[in-house]
Amino acid sequence: MIPALDRLLARFRAAFHKPELDADFDKELAHHADMLTEQYIAEGMPPAQARRQARLELGGIEQTRELHRETRSLPWFEQLGLDLRYTARLFQRERGFTLIALAIIAIGVGLNTSVFSLVNTVLLRPLPFPQAEQFVWITNGPPETPRDNLSAVTHRVDAYEGLQESNRTLDHLEAYEPFSLRRTFRLNRDNGSPETVNSIMVSHGMFPLLGMQPYLGRFFTAEDALPNGPPTVVLSYQFWQNRFGGNRSIVGETIRINNTPVEILGVAPRLDAFASSFYPAVRIDCYAPLVNDNRRTWGNTLALVGRMKPGITIDQARADLALAMETTRANRPSLGDYPRANVLALHDHIAGSLRQPLLFLSVAAGLLLAIVAFNLGGLLLARGAARGKELALRTALGAGNNRILRQLFTESATLVVVGSLMGTVLAAGMIYFLATKSSVAIPLLQSVRLDAASLGFTLLLSAVTAVCCGLAPAWRLSCRRDPGFAALKDEGRGATASRGIMRVRSFLVVTEIALACGLVITAGLVMRSLHNVLELELGYEPENLTAVRIDLISSDEHTADYLYTMIDRVEALPGVSAAGFTDCIPIERDRSWGISALDNPEDEDSRRDGTGAHVRLVSAGLLEAMGTRIIAGRSFNRTDGADREAIIINQTLARRFWPNQSAVGNYVRQNGNAMRVIGVAEDVRHRGPEITAGREMYMTNRSWGGTSWDLMIRSALPHNTLMRSVRATLQEIDPTLPLTQAREMSTLVDHANSARRLMASLVTGFAGMALGLAALGLYGVISYTVTQRRKEIGIRMALGATSGRVSREIVSRTLQLTVWGVGVGLLGALAAGRLMDAILFGVSSFDPMTYVITSLSVVACSLFAGYLPAREASRIDPVHALRTD
Amino acid sequence: MPSEKLDLLQGTLDLMVLQTLRTMGPLHGYGIARRIEQVGSGDILLNQGTIYASLVRLLQGKWISAEWGTSENNRRAKYYALTARGRKRLEADARNWQRVADIMDRFLSSPPSTKGA
Repeated sequence: MIPALDRLLARFRAAFHKPELDADFDKELAHHADMLTEQYIAEGMPPAQARRQARLELGGIEQTRELHRETRSLPWFEQLGLDLRYTARLFQRERGFTLIALAIIAIGVGLNTSVFSLVNTVLLRPLPFPQAEQFVWITNGPPETPRDNLSAVTHRVDAYEGLQESNRTLDHLEAYEPFSLRRTFRLNRDNGSPETVNSIMVSHGMFPLLGMQPYLGRFFTAEDALPNGPPTVVLSYQFWQNRFGGNRSIVGETIRINNTPVEILGVAPRLDAFASSFYPAVRIDCYAPLVNDNRRTWGNTLALVGRMKPGITIDQARADLALAMETTRANRPSLGDYPRANVLALHDHIAGSLRQPLLFLSVAAGLLLAIVAFNLGGLLLARGAARGKELALRTALGAGNNRILRQLFTESATLVVVGSLMGTVLAAGMIYFLATKSSVAIPLLQSVRLDAASLGFTLLLSAVTAVCCGLAPAWRLSCRRDPGFAALKDEGRGATASRGIMRVRSFLVVTEIALACGLVITAGLVMRSLHNVLELELGYEPENLTAVRIDLISSDEHTADYLYTMIDRVEALPGVSAAGFTDCIPIERDRSWGISALDNPEDEDSRRDGTGAHVRLVSAGLLEAMGTRIIAGRSFNRTDGADREAIIINQTLARRFWPNQSAVGNYVRQNGNAMRVIGVAEDVRHRGPEITAGREMYMTNRSWGGTSWDLMIRSALPHNTLMRSVRATLQEIDPTLPLTQAREMSTLVDHANSARRLMASLVTGFAGMALGLAALGLYGVISYTVTQRRKEIGIRMALGATSGRVSREIVSRTLQLTVWGVGVGLLGALAAGRLMDAILFGVSSFDPMTYVITSLSVVACSLFAGYLPAREASRIDPVHALRTD
Repeated sequence: MPSEKLDLLQGTLDLMVLQTLRTMGPLHGYGIARRIEQVGSGDILLNQGTIYASLVRLLQGKWISAEWGTSENNRRAKYYALTARGRKRLEADARNWQRVADIMDRFLSSPPSTKGA
């Protein structure tokens, strides 16, 4: 084996030292020939014949040299080197072409690799937990309940414990308390300014179930979750970095949360599987252990995550948990008849709603890559046609078809390889940005990376691209039927041999226009959807609205007056037009309580139509500050609600209870109280712009207390200016208020729209590129035609054709190609329309307006691409055109 | 005449070169060719140029080494010499070749006057 290896290495080395080795061998061979000649002369031959005989004996000098070269080196490797060097020279000469081609490939491959990485992480790869495919999500309420209606999705503590006891198919059932994240606390350190923290409660088995390891210290144990035990927290990695400067000795230290001393047990890992799966792009500062007893008397509060035992299917789990819930209801009559246990694969819960959009995105990216490949193929063909003379010359000098095919393929493969490398770098950059810098609300986004799968995908992509847009044109060009001088002469006349190439290019361009047209239509629909979402009547005005989180240490009967003091002080500030408190800020916080209509306030039995409605506890002035209109009746005043006697409901709830009469003045029953409806408010798209408003009710902060509030301030002042004066004013009232969580409402709404916005900008970017590429391809074909027909045009103009007529003809040729392309594109878009339904909002996938406008813009763009060569054609000077050849 | 000469089997040339270098010591390409033709006494059809393919093959496998030197008539010539690795290969190949020849010999049973080597 060793000699074979030595030999192979030597052959590779020899490939790089051709000139030296050739010179060396020439000397050796000369010596041999001399010796042979002398030998023959000594044998009596005349010198000239002796020299000839010596050459014969050696089998020919040149043949011997060639044999030596082939044996000592690797011919294919040397040829590759030669081809590469030739390619490099060529690219240097045609810098413009090379740069355009590289940029096209880099963007095409880069976008596709990024989209694939995203799809791979979110959809294809299992969730980042051990035995991920065994994880299930168990919801409450009717299965058709929207996933983000938390009060209907979550379970009571008793139901959770009951399911834990009586199920037979799960080896773990853990819970987290989603409402707790929406409550914030005041954190104090002995030496440091106070801070608002977002914490979430998780059952102590949650992190081990998800396979998470603490970055520092430890996670919770069963002892930490005992009632009345000493309070503990685990910090999130980001919070530890930002607020504790990554100080490793923090473990075991005590901080004060709402004035209670709390021990820091540890720090969660940087890549937090819990947060990135359940709370993408949401700030979590710390985790607290879920203590079941603290939530036992509450309503639905727990989201359940289970893991099925090995070998159990989801159908078995579904049947078993339904049974377990029946047992639980029988053992705990307090639960009533409502709770259910709907079982859903956790992956579907987390990523299910992204399947359609991501699938769609991959299709769009794939189409773009197809356009890239076609465009590149067209460019290579065009360049190849222009090089016909060179190729013919090389054929005449003895290069075989294979040799030329190899040369041409080396050129395009080099382009694709270098372009793909650039594309990979581009993808790495985009992925880094998406994963770490953006705050797009897509689950698992943080764990997107350029891994082996993505690189493999890129490799495959480049190989396919290289074959499609490299091999095909190379084959087309190298297979000319008349090699040698015929082509040499022919090419000089600028002529017919390339008619076949012209047909191929026209076909490519029509395909490109069709694909681009499809993408542009799609982008039009997606942009209209985004526009529709942005234009929605939210039921409040997010612009010029700032939310300042105020956490109170405790809540008592003075709380309401205390809050009004704050409102008065803030409203007195210059530039502030209104202010009010809510405990339920849109987008972030929500919950629902039961309510029923009460026909006779004195008679409890007259209640009817019990239902759930979203609750907002607000101060007087809040609706005005939010910009939510009162449709009927009046808004709250500062004394309303003291005896839990006043309530405002929204239009949806009013219509449900009193469909044919005004709700104002009627009574409802809520939590045992008979309350008079004093007003009806407009519907608010509270949970997010795209989610229609549900039933809502407003009660005042005198009716129910609370410790965590948002002060909503309406002001046109810049955020920072406003916050400086608000902070100063509020800290005059209480210097220990942290006031560190102050957000603009418009930012929160933007965040809720982030996935749609990302989608829209990606698709629009794709469409823009596609259109540009198609126009470039079209321009290439048309301007090539003009160059080819230069002489003909010259003759016709000499015979009296006007320049207008000439350019009209060119433009009509452009139009012909465009109409074909747009026609095919329209048909394609219509056929694929259904694919888009899931990602559109407020616009049909067959919206005629969008179709007309986008196709017209494609036509306009194409005409512009054709106009440039047409103008050039009209300026051809007949004399000049006829003289030059 | 040439039609009666023996065409060399693939691989036999390498063996002949090695054997030549063992018996003759370091030698240049011309010398090796001469020697093979002399030993073959005109029975071998040798295209002398192919010697060099064999030499470069053997050299790259490190069975022989090469060095520029001065020939007996004061000319610069490249001299090839057997290495330890080459000596080992020669022994193994010669044994192998001998066995093949013996078997063929027995197989064809009526031995004509061919060489045993």
